[in-house]
Amino acid sequence: MSYGSTIKVPFGPQHPALKEPENFLFEVDGEIVVDVKPRIGYNHRGIEKAFELRTYMQNIYLAERICGICSDAHTTCYTQAIEELLGVEAPPRAKYIRVIIAELERIQSHALWVGIAAHEIGFDTLFMYVWRDRETTLDMFEMITGNRIHYAMNTIGGVRRDIHADMVPKIRNGLDFLEKRLRYYLNAVQTEQTILKRAAGVGILKSKDAVDLCAVGPTLRASGIMNDVRVDDPYVAYDEIPFQVIVRDGCDVLARILVRCEEMLESIEIMRYALDSMPGGIVKVKAPMKVPQGEVVSRVEAPRGELIHYAKSNGTTKPERYKVRSPTLGNIPALCKMLLGGYVADIPIVLAGIDPCFACMDRMAFVDAKKNKKWNWTMQQLRRKYAKK
Amino acid sequence: MENENEIVENLNKFLKEGLVKATVPRPRRIFVYVKKDALRDAVKHLTKDLEFKHMSTVTGVDLGEKIEVIYHLAHKGSIVASIRLSVSKKNPSVPTVTDLVPGAVLYEREVHDLFGVNFKGHPDLSPLMLPEGWPKGVYPLRKEHELERLREMTSKK
Amino acid sequence: MNLFKWARTKSPWIIHFNTGGCNGCDIELVAALTPRFDLERFGILLEGSPRHADILAVTGPVTLQVKDRLVRIYEQMPEPKHVIAIGTCAISGAPFKECYNVHGGIDTVLQVDAYVPGCPPKPEAIIDGIKKLIQKIEEGEEHGK
Repeated sequence: MSYGSTIKVPFGPQHPALKEPENFLFEVDGEIVVDVKPRIGYNHRGIEKAFELRTYMQNIYLAERICGICSDAHTTCYTQAIEELLGVEAPPRAKYIRVIIAELERIQSHALWVGIAAHEIGFDTLFMYVWRDRETTLDMFEMITGNRIHYAMNTIGGVRRDIHADMVPKIRNGLDFLEKRLRYYLNAVQTEQTILKRAAGVGILKSKDAVDLCAVGPTLRASGIMNDVRVDDPYVAYDEIPFQVIVRDGCDVLARILVRCEEMLESIEIMRYALDSMPGGIVKVKAPMKVPQGEVVSRVEAPRGELIHYAKSNGTTKPERYKVRSPTLGNIPALCKMLLGGYVADIPIVLAGIDPCFACMDRMAFVDAKKNKKWNWTMQQLRRKYAKK
Repeated sequence: MENENEIVENLNKFLKEGLVKATVPRPRRIFVYVKKDALRDAVKHLTKDLEFKHMSTVTGVDLGEKIEVIYHLAHKGSIVASIRLSVSKKNPSVPTVTDLVPGAVLYEREVHDLFGVNFKGHPDLSPLMLPEGWPKGVYPLRKEHELERLREMTSKK
Repeated sequence: MNLFKWARTKSPWIIHFNTGGCNGCDIELVAALTPRFDLERFGILLEGSPRHADILAVTGPVTLQVKDRLVRIYEQMPEPKHVIAIGTCAISGAPFKECYNVHGGIDTVLQVDAYVPGCPPKPEAIIDGIKKLIQKIEEGEEHGK
């Protein structure tokens, strides 16, 4: 089973004809990774400049499409930044709805990732099961928002749709189903030898390195550091909802898998609490088109980690400057550290372990200085070479 | 020290004239404007003494004649201090902080790619996200580069 | 119908390539493989090698970085081959039209035989698009016409 990658026939020493940009350059000594140089550009589109050319309202839909897997995190971060610049606050009910959508997205994203990680390990059955169950989250999104992906729930001043009373029992049923399945997967991950062998002790990131290299999200929390923007720098309704930050100190890929599995279960609890305590009232307030001069730093805890936006307004209907730092970029220095001194065969699972954006991580270049060899591989070629029989 | 105002006072005392202006626009947000030669002291003091260990990112802003570089540091994930300085656009050069905060390595590289700021002492300022063949010296996020011109430039290759 | 055409339409092999989109279309395409939608029951297989593929399914708005690679993959595919553009980005680059590092729709680079609109299109829409393309092939439609 394969997707998203292409076969490239590996070629011999030094082929200057094929000048293609790689996302990672690995310097190897036989089977060991000696150095890692990132150079990501595959997905660079030029969105930050585009923000300056569009109105604040139009930009919601651009922000959404920075990433298809955590689009709600981006729109939450964006709309709350603009609301702060405007001095406008989303109504309480809207904040609770934002929490519900954000947590549902977290479940969807982590489930997607568990399936991908299973595929990396060669466990395609688990991939199929998890993605089948993930469909339940997408059904809920479709019911509440009208779309499975890019739900366009957030607007400046609140949310665009309400969660109606007749939806609530269906959401609760969906959550009950998911909880059962996720507990099953959590148990499987902790007992299944295939997973343990490939993930335990692999991709080590010590706590001190995680902090020095400014890692974020589950990658950081799997190295024992209790940082989560929802608790440290609360936004929307998180300050009113009690929940646990999941931390583990395994510092390896297995710990990262466990953190994400447990976070999904915690997200279910948060959603239940939010449904139980949801205040009544309107779901959005009117917001002016022109944003007075100002600047703001907005952060949310996206599924992959801390997402930060910086916004500068100039009194017009378009931003002066809009900066986005996605969580994956925050984890690349830590990723490089994890790969150093490790086996080439472990590259795919360690890469997958930080939950990177799909396509970003597809192309890798290798250099073996001692043997004077250079070659390119895609993820699939790498997997194939080291597939355990 | 958990209080934004206390932190500002502390920075004032530590940096003296190095600190040009500081504001606390709302809880958990501090904006500090420093002189270029006070940058490293500010970052060192914040990360080593005041426990602002996490650098969230580095932002570049085109102010017209100057380019502003803003370092966003978080205190235990909570208070975000945005330390900013501005340099002339003609020769934008800022000392690196990657020896103080290893995690800043890609953030400085990004600002270099998109604004052309030279981070003196950075281990590797090779292009991070601009494509191969991107015209040298064209920093796309500078205001003088309009979209149509950028497109023209890149469609020629 | 000759043997090759029959084999191609009864069991088309698709290679998927993302040209720098948000991944929304890619995850819906992968979802099309999972049990609820089960693309494989139509005999459609997602292949890794361009040399074995009949159909190139492209997503994304073609970033400048990736354009050459897209063309190279296309050139590695044997004739007869077809191209299906999945998602609004692949059709016109629309959400990213003000982005300086984006080329535009797939048809600014390659000849496209089928377009599946949506942002992203649902797995059912993707399957429908692929089926319609297969129908076109069966009816003798050639690539790029």
